[in-house]
Amino acid sequence: MSREDAVGEPRRRRWLVTDPDWSLRDAVAQPAMLGVALLTASYLRVLFHVTDVVGGTTLLAAEVVGVLAVGAVLASRVDARTALLGSAGVLVGGMLTYYLSIPASQRALIDFGAVVRDLVALFSGLSVFRLVQADVWALAVLPAPLLGSWLLALRGRFATSVAVGGTALGFFVLTGDAGFLTTLTGVVGAAAAVGFGELAPRRALAAHWDTVALVVTTMVVVTSTVSVVPGGGASPIVAGSSAPTLEGNVVDNADSVGIVGSIRLSPEVRFTVESERGSYWRVGAYDRFTGGSWVRTGETRVYDGELDPPPGPTTTVEQTITAETTLNSMPAVWKPVSVGGNVQQATQVTAEDGLRAAAPIADGESYTVVSERPAYTTRALRAAGTDYPDAVRNRYLGLPDSTPDRVGERAAAVADRANASTPYATAVAIEEYLESNKAYSLNVERPRGNVADAFLFEMEAGYCTYYATTMAVMLRTQGIPARMATGYTTGERVAEDEWVVRGLNAHAWVEVYFPEVGWVAFDPTPSSPREETGERRISQAREAGEAGIDTNRSGPGEWTPTPTQTPEDESGPNGTVGATATPDLAGIAGGQRTAGGGEVGSFTGGGPADPSGPTLPSPEEVGYGLVLLFGGVAAGRRFGLDDRLYRFVWLRYQPRDAPVPDVERAYDRVETLLAAQRRPRRAGETVADYLDSLGVRDSRVRRVAALYERAHYGGDASPADADEAVQAADALVGETTPLLGRLRRSG
Amino acid sequence: MSDEPRSDGGDAAVEAGGDPGPSAFEPLSVEAAADLIGEIVDNVERVIVGKRDAVEHILVATVARGHVLLEDVPGTGKTMLARSVATSVDASFRRVQFTPDLLPSDVTGVNVFNQKTQEFEFQAGPVFANVVLADEINRAPPKTQSALLEAMEERQVTVDGETRPLPEPFVVIATQNDVESGRTYELPMAEIDRFAKKLRLGYPEGDQEAEIIGRTAGHHPIEELEPVTDGHTLRRARETAGQVTLSEPVRSYIGRLAAHTRNNAQLGVSPRGSIALARTSQVRALLDGRDYVTPDDVQAEVRTVFAHRIRPRTGSETGEDVVASALSSVTVE
Repeated sequence: MSREDAVGEPRRRRWLVTDPDWSLRDAVAQPAMLGVALLTASYLRVLFHVTDVVGGTTLLAAEVVGVLAVGAVLASRVDARTALLGSAGVLVGGMLTYYLSIPASQRALIDFGAVVRDLVALFSGLSVFRLVQADVWALAVLPAPLLGSWLLALRGRFATSVAVGGTALGFFVLTGDAGFLTTLTGVVGAAAAVGFGELAPRRALAAHWDTVALVVTTMVVVTSTVSVVPGGGASPIVAGSSAPTLEGNVVDNADSVGIVGSIRLSPEVRFTVESERGSYWRVGAYDRFTGGSWVRTGETRVYDGELDPPPGPTTTVEQTITAETTLNSMPAVWKPVSVGGNVQQATQVTAEDGLRAAAPIADGESYTVVSERPAYTTRALRAAGTDYPDAVRNRYLGLPDSTPDRVGERAAAVADRANASTPYATAVAIEEYLESNKAYSLNVERPRGNVADAFLFEMEAGYCTYYATTMAVMLRTQGIPARMATGYTTGERVAEDEWVVRGLNAHAWVEVYFPEVGWVAFDPTPSSPREETGERRISQAREAGEAGIDTNRSGPGEWTPTPTQTPEDESGPNGTVGATATPDLAGIAGGQRTAGGGEVGSFTGGGPADPSGPTLPSPEEVGYGLVLLFGGVAAGRRFGLDDRLYRFVWLRYQPRDAPVPDVERAYDRVETLLAAQRRPRRAGETVADYLDSLGVRDSRVRRVAALYERAHYGGDASPADADEAVQAADALVGETTPLLGRLRRSG
Repeated sequence: MSDEPRSDGGDAAVEAGGDPGPSAFEPLSVEAAADLIGEIVDNVERVIVGKRDAVEHILVATVARGHVLLEDVPGTGKTMLARSVATSVDASFRRVQFTPDLLPSDVTGVNVFNQKTQEFEFQAGPVFANVVLADEINRAPPKTQSALLEAMEERQVTVDGETRPLPEPFVVIATQNDVESGRTYELPMAEIDRFAKKLRLGYPEGDQEAEIIGRTAGHHPIEELEPVTDGHTLRRARETAGQVTLSEPVRSYIGRLAAHTRNNAQLGVSPRGSIALARTSQVRALLDGRDYVTPDDVQAEVRTVFAHRIRPRTGSETGEDVVASALSSVTVE
């Protein structure tokens, strides 16, 4: 296996050998090390992102430094096999640490089956974020691959090192935590490390570095322009793929919602609801915000009977939901307490008490849900206080460490403007602030970094996901537990107790926790532009004759009393999801009221950058451009273009020096020209023989040659000679370049 | 290299008519030197028909302080050529016919006891002349050959412990008959190396032979040949030749040519050969009226200067073949 073994020493296993020839500086100063660094950076990036979201970045950084230091110390004494076995041991140790760190109450639940199930789930796309103790997990898992690949790279075993690092990156690719750029960085690093690592010991680096560079560049260019997996979460940098649907983005993703860019609306009917009250049909909620997406942590369990109702007074709502297409989710009024119908067996309950379909619900199938809708008054919410249970406090107040402070400052300022002294008043103030300060648009460019911060300070428009995300984050900065909820809006009312819900009704809003009341919905998205957009899309689709956009009971103008005009629950709390078809109408009204007083909307600081200024390219674009440049240089070198370009310029442009070198170069240019037109000078041919052999009669050529002989062999040339030779060479070269020659003649 | 201070050399210019004076000879201008050599060549051509190249080569060797080996069949005008050159420069000429019984003292001279003065007097041998024709040098035994070769190299002769300088200019033109190999002593490589050039005259071509017959019908033209210059001027021309620029590219070219012969033959060209090529190339440049050597000059000289110094690897190859291969494969820079 290892080269040391092959030398033929007696087969005695030496676990610790000190290699006197090894030096840290030589080991690090290898081009392949750059590749290893890139690969390492790619999975470190994932782990750092995890700890950024759940806490513990400093500890992780300290761990990285520690592991690198230990590796540097050990490297001279450890061979490849020891390094591999050692990191395997470190991995087992790390996993044990993680296991021990899980609270004893939860540990009791973990048996062998659960461990295997978790492992399978991780490998099939379960995000690391869904682990409850993601920070401890990150700290536990990091040292093994880092130490292993670092030690192996220091020993010059780049291929094995890449295998170790690649396994770590591959794991995060499978969990879905490594994004496109991260993965690409890692893969490019791996290719570079193996390529350079194999070339260096064969002393072929100087001759073949451009091949490796070309391969790496091709990898970058091809993967960033060609998307093999359609609709994959990682969108290519260059080619524009069609925008995902709002529904597909918000509702279908079971355990996480990635915040994407532009989005479109699907007018297809999804389901119909028979219920005595219209409401938002809720699908799920998400507790962990990673900056760019929402993740639901914790286990999903099988539905086994009644669920707990919310703590406060409630109203019972019974709904029958019939799927009109295959449904992946189970929409229902919050908060469901029991499920009936065929799908009961396949129902799961998520960690936040939402319903989830274990198997898709087929077209035409229906189920009934009994929900206990919180029946609260504004007074109850105002009086709710801040005595949050620990479970709520732990799960619903976390924010990424990297969240800028200005988000919290803005949230506090908004609350102060509205003289908000209670969580409820703060929530209403923020809701109104967002409603009245941001425009509604489905065409947005996905911001980089923290989405809430970007929406608040850099973007002017967005859609529900942006509004909901920003409001939830702002509330959390104020210590108010909040989460993002997704589902469908009420839909088109086709009868007294029947609603038709389409794909374009997919929506996201915010749920805020109030002690003694439970989760209360707030919708910061301005409702009228959203509804107008939806209606436009339906009429468009109807005109275009698209299939599946109407049931036999829906359609234009069948149910004339538009429910939006008469909210049933006039006394309902502002901005809460009441029983109205457009529950946030009251919120809009509130926003207008405040805006009329000139209070909201007067924040100007931190607005979008001056739109007239030049747009700076993003770091990705700059990196991409650099890679392209590097690849171009490598390709040019590989195919000799650099040399040709050099010759081209060299032939056409002569900087002046001293007379003798000037004359010499002038002749070299003329000879290059003759070589291209006729034939190159042969090895044993003198200048005179060459010109005679070609039968050159041009007196300028002869003159330059004569000047050259005197300058080159006699070391004698006057400035006038140099001028004459250079001018003659310029003229001769100019005549052979059509365009240049014409310019010269005309000039 | 151009200037070997030989204060005694000047005094010994017995018949050259050279001014003994101080060692420094005022160099001629490049044009004057070129004209001088051209005049000598023209003069010699009055006697020697159609051998301008050979005449030039001999003059180049003379000005470059070299000696010439002529290898040819008898009767091609070797002796006449040597005499014409000597006469043209108003220099003394001696001819030595090398035979198997020739002794070294027959070449160098001997001390003879004078009865009148009761003293030994030195009777100078034929080597004490400006132009010495050593005819059929390969017929003499090695001991005699080496006496001449020593004189050629050191330009002095030692007899009975007394060293006598040879006159300046001093040129040996040796001939070698390559048709009769019986009773000959082939010159060793080490001695052949001392000749700057080896030439072949060859038979005259069609019309030329008729002209030779016509010219020699009455008086032989050599008898009417007049000198066009003297030894002193010739030595000034030598000074000029020594000042012709040998630039680095040319020196490197000569070095690479020599290296090529060493890599492609059993015995290649010695550094002495390279020096000879450099000197003759300088004179060749002078002949063209230039004060710097170009690779063309080197190429014009290299065949006659290098070929005889090379011992090829196979019998079917000649020194000329090796030089030709060097010329075609060594890059001119």
